[in-house]
Amino acid sequence: MSHVTTERVRLRPRVLLTTEGTYPYVVGGVSAWCDLLVRSIREIDWHVLPIVAGRRRAPLYRIPPAVRLQPPIELWAETLAGARGPARADGHTDTLPRTLVESLIGWDGDLEALTAALTACRGHAPDVRRTFRSRRGWESFLAGLRTVTEEDVPEAGATPNLDLVEAATLYQILYWVARTAAAPTPPCDVLHVTAAGWAAIPAIVAKALHGTPLVLTEHGVYVREAYLAAARSGESPGTRFARTRLARGLARAAYAAADVVAPVTDANAFWEVGLGIDPAKIHVVYNGLSSPGAPQPPPRNGTVVSVGRIDPLKDVHTMLRVADEVLRRVPSARFEHYGPVTDGEETYGRSCLALHERLGLGDRFRFMGRTTDPEGVVRDADVVLMTSISEGLPIAILEAMAQARPVVSTGVGGVPDVVKGCGIVTRPGDVHALALAVCTLLRRPETARQLGMRGHRRVRRIFDETSCVEGYRDLLLAAARGVAQPEPAIAQVAA
Amino acid sequence: MTVSRIDPEGARRIVEARLDRPPQDMLEAAVVLEAWVGVPARDALGLGTEMLRTTPAQPVRSRGPVPDPPDGRGVWREALPFALVVLAIGGWAGPLAGTLGIGVIELALGVALPLTMALQWGLSSRYLSRPEGLALLARDARGHLAAPTLLVAVPGLALGVPGIVAGLLTLTWVGGAILVRRGWSVLYAALVVLAAVAMTGGLWPPAILGLLALVTSLLAAVAVLSGGAPPTHQPGRLGRACTATLIGLGLGLLLVADRSVNWSFGALPAVALLPATLACYWSGTYLWRFQQVIPRVLRGVSAADTRAPDLGRGPRRILLGAIARLVALTAAISGALLGTAALTDASVGGVTVLAGFGMVAMATLVLGLLESVGRPAAALCALSAGIGADVLASQLAGAHVAGAGLIAGSALAVVVALPFAFSTLGDPVTTLATRLGIP
Repeated sequence: MSHVTTERVRLRPRVLLTTEGTYPYVVGGVSAWCDLLVRSIREIDWHVLPIVAGRRRAPLYRIPPAVRLQPPIELWAETLAGARGPARADGHTDTLPRTLVESLIGWDGDLEALTAALTACRGHAPDVRRTFRSRRGWESFLAGLRTVTEEDVPEAGATPNLDLVEAATLYQILYWVARTAAAPTPPCDVLHVTAAGWAAIPAIVAKALHGTPLVLTEHGVYVREAYLAAARSGESPGTRFARTRLARGLARAAYAAADVVAPVTDANAFWEVGLGIDPAKIHVVYNGLSSPGAPQPPPRNGTVVSVGRIDPLKDVHTMLRVADEVLRRVPSARFEHYGPVTDGEETYGRSCLALHERLGLGDRFRFMGRTTDPEGVVRDADVVLMTSISEGLPIAILEAMAQARPVVSTGVGGVPDVVKGCGIVTRPGDVHALALAVCTLLRRPETARQLGMRGHRRVRRIFDETSCVEGYRDLLLAAARGVAQPEPAIAQVAA
Repeated sequence: MTVSRIDPEGARRIVEARLDRPPQDMLEAAVVLEAWVGVPARDALGLGTEMLRTTPAQPVRSRGPVPDPPDGRGVWREALPFALVVLAIGGWAGPLAGTLGIGVIELALGVALPLTMALQWGLSSRYLSRPEGLALLARDARGHLAAPTLLVAVPGLALGVPGIVAGLLTLTWVGGAILVRRGWSVLYAALVVLAAVAMTGGLWPPAILGLLALVTSLLAAVAVLSGGAPPTHQPGRLGRACTATLIGLGLGLLLVADRSVNWSFGALPAVALLPATLACYWSGTYLWRFQQVIPRVLRGVSAADTRAPDLGRGPRRILLGAIARLVALTAAISGALLGTAALTDASVGGVTVLAGFGMVAMATLVLGLLESVGRPAAALCALSAGIGADVLASQLAGAHVAGAGLIAGSALAVVVALPFAFSTLGDPVTTLATRLGIP
């Protein structure tokens, strides 16, 4: 039975926003975007269902009174909602581990079987734990894993021979997939998923059970970021395989279940199409900023600012090397990096400090920590630098452009489309090109000013917060009414 | 930014140079080409597919990560104050019995021991054995505010003076467990020794006990409240903590059900407990290595290999080693105690009582293992059988053999529990995947 009732939709549609490791517990681009939506689209009753990896904190955002924050699904915790009640001993879920490994980890996994298995978890929540703790469950998983190992798909490469430790770890991860599927969700008229990964699991089940329309927004491309992280991790082949295939399986399932996929940039859309999504489902909605006021003149003291988490995806090592090269050519330049170390990336954070010391950058490159005034810090810059190897549509770049500051960035994700003509874009990891670009802008302030002003105008014209909010309002209300999106599949940014 | 057209062979060389290995699949190749070479997504995906089709990847054997070996340096730092605590508590029995009467102390200990063990096991399962244990306890502290008062008031109302003494003893011992968890074991030992000195020095023992319970409780509160930043994890499952509480209670009952052991006779029982408790501590620390040993024996064994060798040998050997250590250390310290007793004309209760406590330690070891590997039903089953045998044996043979109930009850519990423990450790793959990995 559908939760969608015409009368209710006409009044105030209920949207369930599922998040993964972001809003409202972590500050960042995705969280800020969630905060913007729930604060701005007031004709919707928002329910927020966060999924967190065993670490819950107090919300870092003020939750508007009309927004209902659901109890988070805490992965790896001993207790989870929906798991209580007597288990049925009829073996109904005995093959669940096999179905999950074949459909999620297999290259051409059966998505219908996956959806049915996830839905069964919701229907038999207390059985999930019993099944996964049983010898039969484990043996069924091993049988499924053998099927996956024997797959013969050229582009899938050769499946590594997982050892028993890796197999056990994968088995436990699949248990948490099942537990996440088993967690109850509140009745709603639209499901809005903020990442094509774990956040999609409760929504896939809700859609299968109630036929609720599902809108998926990808800020980065989930699969791409999982592969990037795995490629850099130095993990064993089996661990890497499990991690990336799981991300791919979850993304495939999310794409298949979504009625509308709303990436924040065209670059993501190309990936999504490449991953098999129907282009007709794609509707790009750009991130936006509140209308910037008149720009202030740059300080002209050689300050280069970067804003972003200290994370391998931001390639801070390259940033430090760029600073080193720039300082050799423009000794008066000063670099300031704003942003905390990502949770779990403390080792990377330490490696950045070590490189900073090895390069002898001293006070000429300062790690400033978290900022509560990102607009203010870019306003105090002559040039804004970004060296990421993965981005969606970075808010930090938009903020720099809004303040009329020229941008030097790597051309990843949506950056080239955004920065077009308002800064300098180079290849990722190209220290020399990035340094050259920064030096050029520091030495030619008039060119920097012109680029900055173009960026300012471009943000006002295209990446406006009101347009962004309106885009989602239209999308969600249309989904609640069951109306297909009339917009073209993949929009192009107007030059 | 422009990237000239790359052919699949060139792309393969670039990707392999970047990764220092062949790509896992076309997606990994595409991601590398896009992120580090700047190839647009559409081209990168196409190149990745072509690459994998033209150069098929070879399967590789993988070896998963294993946990670091445990740091055993702190074991004896905790064990020595613990031994001091056991000995000092032994010093209280005489003065307390002298003031309040043997019957009062007998009953008080009969209540306090099971209650303390139940609470310690329960607290450990839900909070203290977890990385953020004290912070978790602090978060739930509001629900436990009345606990210290209830611990004294309820037995007091039910049993009168023996109940109050039982409550104070329980409060002291449970508080002590919290102090030890906080790393304040030396402070706790110092308090207990001071109390023993004060009691034997002529101060009114009940008042000293009350004061000690109060001070320990306050320090425990300080330990909890200063136990770290707000927790980011959940406490242990309530159901599991309840089962652990029951196992602790059962072990306490196993200790006090044997009426042939006189708990109020001076320092005797506490001193007799020393060999078994120290041996249990040492062997338990050794046994806990099974959590590292299991992944180590499974590492590198292919999940596809259905004819894997006997992987259970290593973990089973750990259990046998732990039992051997327990027996050896109990025997060694017991022998030393008996020798010292013979030289000084003192009494430590005889060989059978020492053996009985040793058997209880072994039961604690094996039942604790079963609880930790998710077989609490087997542990409770063994414990129930053991308590029944304890009561029966103490009635039938207690008059002739001190500690007969302890020996019979614990031995039966061990005999019932050991097959479960061996079968669980003997199938380390299933144990790691299911019971250890899925709480």
